[in-house]
Amino acid sequence: MIQLELDQVSFRYEDGSIGLDACSLAIERGSRNVLIGVNGSGKTTLFQHANGLLRPQSGQVRYDGVAVEYNRSGLRELRTRVGMVFQNPDRQLFSASVQEDVSFGPLNLGLDEPTVRQRVRESLAAVGMADVADKAVHNLSFGQKKRVCIAGVLAMRPELLVLDEPMAGLDYVAKDELMAVLGDLHAKGITLLLATHDIDFAYRWADRIHLMSDGRCSASVEADRLDEHAGELERIGLPLPGIIELHRRLARLGLPVGPRAPRAHGELLERLEGTPANDKGINMTFNSSRDD
Amino acid sequence: MLIEQSAYANRWRTACPGAKALFALGGFIAVFSAGTTVAALAVAGVLLVLTVVGAGVPLSRYVRVALPAVFFLSISCLSLAVSVTPDSRGGGIGIAWAANGLEVVAHVAARSLGALAALLFLVLTTPLIDLMAVLRRLKVPEVLLELMVLCYRMLFVFSEALHDTLTAQSARMGYSSPRRALRSLGDLAANLAVQVWQRAQALHRAALARNNDGPLRFLAPVYAHARRDTALALASGVAVVILARVLSA
Repeated sequence: MIQLELDQVSFRYEDGSIGLDACSLAIERGSRNVLIGVNGSGKTTLFQHANGLLRPQSGQVRYDGVAVEYNRSGLRELRTRVGMVFQNPDRQLFSASVQEDVSFGPLNLGLDEPTVRQRVRESLAAVGMADVADKAVHNLSFGQKKRVCIAGVLAMRPELLVLDEPMAGLDYVAKDELMAVLGDLHAKGITLLLATHDIDFAYRWADRIHLMSDGRCSASVEADRLDEHAGELERIGLPLPGIIELHRRLARLGLPVGPRAPRAHGELLERLEGTPANDKGINMTFNSSRDD
Repeated sequence: MLIEQSAYANRWRTACPGAKALFALGGFIAVFSAGTTVAALAVAGVLLVLTVVGAGVPLSRYVRVALPAVFFLSISCLSLAVSVTPDSRGGGIGIAWAANGLEVVAHVAARSLGALAALLFLVLTTPLIDLMAVLRRLKVPEVLLELMVLCYRMLFVFSEALHDTLTAQSARMGYSSPRRALRSLGDLAANLAVQVWQRAQALHRAALARNNDGPLRFLAPVYAHARRDTALALASGVAVVILARVLSA
């Protein structure tokens, strides 16, 4: 079932630059979506339409099949259902205390204090930040700030979570932790839409990948079938994921790596370890360092 | 930053901030009601010992925080002790010790030290975010509180931006000569001004995205032993006031 849909949406900024150009995109309920494109391809503009921060100059945004109304109650409804996490946490967190900041959204919804308190607790726990509730925002690391941002949006109980470049600036551990958080949210049935320019990550994580260029969504493909869309990727300046190329090369060498490319390299290793490489007459070992 | 550090890392961080403010108020009342220098100094001493021994704020840090204030205090005491008057014999200007000056100066200085100690007790044990929550409960106008929250938060964001820009400029020899330094400083100011503007817009958008429609609302924290802390603070506040009165008698 289609949850959010942009239909031929166009938006031009005041300085004349094109944000979106007759862009159409559909997001299925409960799915994991990646919006991928080079810098300046319109990802952030599209996100701001999803949350009603920008209003299409032509075209239509629909939520659950109903066109968004850009009046007070319509926007309130949309922004409650679609939560938006910005790229730079310092531009999103404006209370000095973690707990206060997370309470900001639910208090704006007019909820009573006990409910807000409970939601703050729950959403901080959901992102693994329960123990920093009383800390000051400026004493947190970048990755922690990012998770507090997500908690602040979760506290409004969104059905669709939109994250702009969530992995940007995170170290390896923080990325892993964020992945785990996103996995939990998906398991809870929250639809996820995130922007990135990391094709390897997109391929590993997403159900559907939407390609953006020049303010348009040029293609929406099932991540499983991404290998059939090398041409489209190239057109928007992106390579195929490294793992697909590696899989192809290994398959060409006659190794039993299966017909379809795996999504993560761990999966590829497992397939390889299933059979000794020497059987195929190729002199290769995958744990040579241990043999030495 | 020193104040900030100790406010977060002291033994009484989790005590109810309202109670700490109440005790600090007790300290203020005590120093103002202290009739003698000794009494005021005693109150200052008690407050200092409580902050250092009780809350566990390192003495060296305490001294470093207090030093600028003490410096200003000593300068103003000097101007109190010495009076510049037209010389009675000729047309010149004479410098004289103020009449019964030293005694008055000592008393004022002791009281100021006491007030300083009371203030330091509060700010060294209580983070500003807690203090703002107290002010909110005291029904300080929302506009002022919102300004405080945003200023405090932005202080850190901008000190970071300032630091980054400054480093980037220095790395490219931006401050290698006075002339260049002046120019770089100008660029820095201009750059920060633009950042302030962009940041304000971004925050506005972020607030809208979370359904904000005007006033900024935040949740006040709860403290486990608020009642006990307040009673304790009230009792010890009264105790220092009594101490001051007894020593003044």
